Amino acid sequence: MIMFIKLAWRNIFRNKRRTAIASTVVAIGLASLIFVDALMIGMERDMIKSATESFMGEGQIHREGFQETYAVEKTIANLDSLTGRLAHEELVENFSVRVLSYAAISSPVNMRSVTMVGINPESEKHLSQIDDAMEKGSYFEAGGGERNLVIGRELAERLEVGVGDRVVLTAAQVQTDNLAQELFRVSGIYFMNVDELDKGMAFVRLDKAREMLNLGDSAHEIAIDFRQSSVGRQKDHPFWDEYSRLGNTAEGWAELMPQLQTAFELSRFSIYITGLILFGVVALGIINALFMSLYERMYEFGVLLAVGTRKAELARLIVFEAGALAIVSSVAGIVLGFIVNYIFTHVGFDFTGSEYSGVTFREPLYPVMTAGQFILYPILVFVFTLIVSLYPAIYAARLTPVNAMRKAH
Amino acid sequence: MNKKENNHVVMAQGIVKEYREDKVPVKALRGIDLTIDEGEFTAIVGPSGSGKTTFLNVISGLDDATGGSVRLSGKLLSEMSGKELSDFRRDNIGFIFQSNNLIPVLTVEENVEYVMLLQGVPKKERHERVKKILADLGLEDMADRRPNRLSGGQQQRAGVARAMVSKPALVLADEPTASLDSEAAESLMEIMRELNEKSKITFIFSTHDQRVMKKARRLIVLKDGKVDRDEVKG
Repeated sequence: MIMFIKLAWRNIFRNKRRTAIASTVVAIGLASLIFVDALMIGMERDMIKSATESFMGEGQIHREGFQETYAVEKTIANLDSLTGRLAHEELVENFSVRVLSYAAISSPVNMRSVTMVGINPESEKHLSQIDDAMEKGSYFEAGGGERNLVIGRELAERLEVGVGDRVVLTAAQVQTDNLAQELFRVSGIYFMNVDELDKGMAFVRLDKAREMLNLGDSAHEIAIDFRQSSVGRQKDHPFWDEYSRLGNTAEGWAELMPQLQTAFELSRFSIYITGLILFGVVALGIINALFMSLYERMYEFGVLLAVGTRKAELARLIVFEAGALAIVSSVAGIVLGFIVNYIFTHVGFDFTGSEYSGVTFREPLYPVMTAGQFILYPILVFVFTLIVSLYPAIYAARLTPVNAMRKAH
Repeated sequence: MNKKENNHVVMAQGIVKEYREDKVPVKALRGIDLTIDEGEFTAIVGPSGSGKTTFLNVISGLDDATGGSVRLSGKLLSEMSGKELSDFRRDNIGFIFQSNNLIPVLTVEENVEYVMLLQGVPKKERHERVKKILADLGLEDMADRRPNRLSGGQQQRAGVARAMVSKPALVLADEPTASLDSEAAESLMEIMRELNEKSKITFIFSTHDQRVMKKARRLIVLKDGKVDRDEVKG
């Protein structure tokens, strides 16, 4: 066994150029696989971050059916008790109570339909990024007027309003369905680079929204951030059952944005396809290298068989050579993969503003390296190489000493 | 190897070997009957195409006979499976080829040791036997060299060392001196003959070199795939 390992290891360095070319092919394949995987993880993280941090939060609690209808009367049951529990919940980092309603916003020039969002500016600061995205004016300042309103840049442009201008919000009240109209003053304009937020939302103070909609102390939504962001992804986490009671429903982002999960699955699938193509290329590279080496050493194989090397031992030698090639290639692939990833984790890809699966990238995309990429993929390449090498190995095992020697001449 | 009655190491009966070249059947051996006994130093001679190499291949089990039978030390080769034949060759036959006998990536020592590794000979014994045979063949200083750093004669001597080190019953050499100059050829033949005399190992070698033929004690002349002459020298 040791002799065959020694033989295999030395054999792959007999033709250094060929080994270098074959190893480069395998190494590029491996490095690409590592890079694509790192990029996908980066993309997932970026998308989750963009989706959850901009406004949605990692989880939300609503009254059952509210999300489908946006019916104003579907308010969260037992709100005070829930917020009290959330405040002491170890898993929860921040939460913010919201009132949501379809509304019409009108300026002297134009009118648009929007979602009116009543927020507590202080708690919302820790949950969404509206305050960080202010372009003009200011976010709801402490002690500021109760009729302050914050809107996105694109909505402001369509309404042709600026900071200090007046707008009117019209919404239907709960129970009576009477229309309530209130005058607001634009106190701040933000730009999130997310269409839904920049065009379709108008933020007012929570109390004012409640008063306008005749909601009392009720609310429609509690947005939550967790200490461990993985909670939002786990559909079966006990937290969701715990807070889905009394007609309320608690869901993580994975359920709130199922298209995101689908997009991730699609991305994973594309990795498999990429992997399959790369492995195909790698397979051809390896088979080519091994067969070239085999034909070149045909006489030698004849001698080995003649002196008593069993066919299985000869096949094993070819598999060992493939293994040695895979080790060299994997080391090169790991180094190459690390260098490429390292560069792009610093440079990144700027897709800011681009939308994919309903999520707008708000930050440049950076690949994320994990230990698994540098362990699992090289192991896969190694095992795959061994499997692929069975073809030339079986070919070698079928040689007879005389045929091998004849073919050499 | 079990020695059989009459000390016949090789017993070939009616060997026929037919090839197909471009779908045309070519008879390389046309019914050869031969026995070669233990300790013989026999040359198979004849012009190119007379069937020397084919004969050696068939009697060593490297190639199948189309007809007839070959017994090596009483064992019928055609009854052995591929694996049994490999093991039989490993344990009973030493091979010396025209050239390129050695594995280029192994040192002389490793090349000589190779067959014993296949046999599972213990490390200590392997090393002792390698050391001794290399000393016998004047290659002790070349042990760590790769074949490409040896002369043609040294390479052939290393090939002899590999063929002999596992103490086979039979050594087959196919034109062992073909790639050597006359001095190296003579020296190699001397060595082979000495080893034959000392160890009583049967040597069969093919050649068409007159000087090599002179060293043989038995001369089997092949012509058109048949034994034309079989003479034992005094």
